[in-house]
Amino acid sequence: MSRELEYIRCHICEAVNYVNEKETKCRRCHEEIAPNLRLSYHKTLAFLITAIIFYIPANLYPILVSKQFGKTTTNTIMGGIIHLWDAGSYPIALIILLASVFVPLLKFILIIYLLISTRHNLHSSKVDKHKLFYITEIIGPWSMVDVFVVVILSVLIHFSGVQIFPGEGATAFGLMVFFTMISAQSFDPRLINQQKGDTF
Amino acid sequence: MITEEELDNLIICKKCHTLHKRVPLPPNKKAFCSKCDILLYQNNPNILNKTLALVIAATISLFVAFKFTIVTIDIQGMEKSLTLYALFMVILEQHQYIVGVMFIFLIFIFPITIIFSMLILLILMKRKKGGYLVKRLLILLAHIRPWSMVDIFFISLLVAMVKLFDYAYIELGVSFIALIFTLILDIIITKNLSFYELWNLYTKIYGGVNE
Repeated sequence: MSRELEYIRCHICEAVNYVNEKETKCRRCHEEIAPNLRLSYHKTLAFLITAIIFYIPANLYPILVSKQFGKTTTNTIMGGIIHLWDAGSYPIALIILLASVFVPLLKFILIIYLLISTRHNLHSSKVDKHKLFYITEIIGPWSMVDVFVVVILSVLIHFSGVQIFPGEGATAFGLMVFFTMISAQSFDPRLINQQKGDTF
Repeated sequence: MITEEELDNLIICKKCHTLHKRVPLPPNKKAFCSKCDILLYQNNPNILNKTLALVIAATISLFVAFKFTIVTIDIQGMEKSLTLYALFMVILEQHQYIVGVMFIFLIFIFPITIIFSMLILLILMKRKKGGYLVKRLLILLAHIRPWSMVDIFFISLLVAMVKLFDYAYIELGVSFIALIFTLILDIIITKNLSFYELWNLYTKIYGGVNE
């Protein structure tokens, strides 16, 4: 048993706790630190599946609807990126592509990888997995960029003749980001630590 | 069995979860993780006063950022301003409740809650009063910190402005400058200030036994 296995970091107050069968509360902030590992695994999986489901309408439905003197045009995420690229705004197109397409996909892949590797004891470094989980948490909120841009545009372009609305895709996309963040937060780092134990 | 003091002298890296033993540091020095070089802890002799100063500055700039106009656009004589009030009105008018509620929570309610909690927390800690409230506020902060998205809002604002650049004349408002200040202070306070130190101070001031 390696030394790291016996100690756990409280995710609220960052205090080091000694893992104890009876004690499930942090010694300093008295918040739950050792919830059911199995529950944590399934919660992460459930929220991830919800997020993936929301990812489909987020891409198919328009994220931005603009009305110009009665004429309605819609834009999906990919449509908007292609439009920006054609217009020559390469940096903006890249930012949106990175934030709205790559970041969510990367998060899905990372969480799926973490879930599979902790369940099936893949022989990879624990330190690397902890780092991957840290990255997952850091990049999460950045996919909100596109939704925020649409909301800002809908406030600014709000004239009697010309109007911009957030489409159904924006709602789905916002919910998708919300559920990926909840999914990452439900993941217990102890799942990585207890790999060899295989208790569930 | 291991004692509380021994546990207090240990620290686990937030990035790679490597266990480290704390060593006493000279003032204003920082300790980094041996595996991933991320900041573990620092010896900051004046942490309460410094953070309180930053938080007061952030409170003022956040107030200015939400009170006045962020940007005004001008399309062929028609003007429109981005303010919090305009945002509420547009959300109500367009019935965008899910997106709108998310936006208002992530941009407005969470950042304000964080700043005010920090303000109350630091003042209480300086006066060594209200241990229970301090603990609850620290726990609240840990829960909502990942949900404050002022930085992402700022990048989105820049993206939206670049998109409008071809059609409209854009005028930056007072709040835009205030938003930049808020952002810088927010980064210093919530990303660089280690909450680990605040919790240690909490144990030192209130003795850690405040149910």
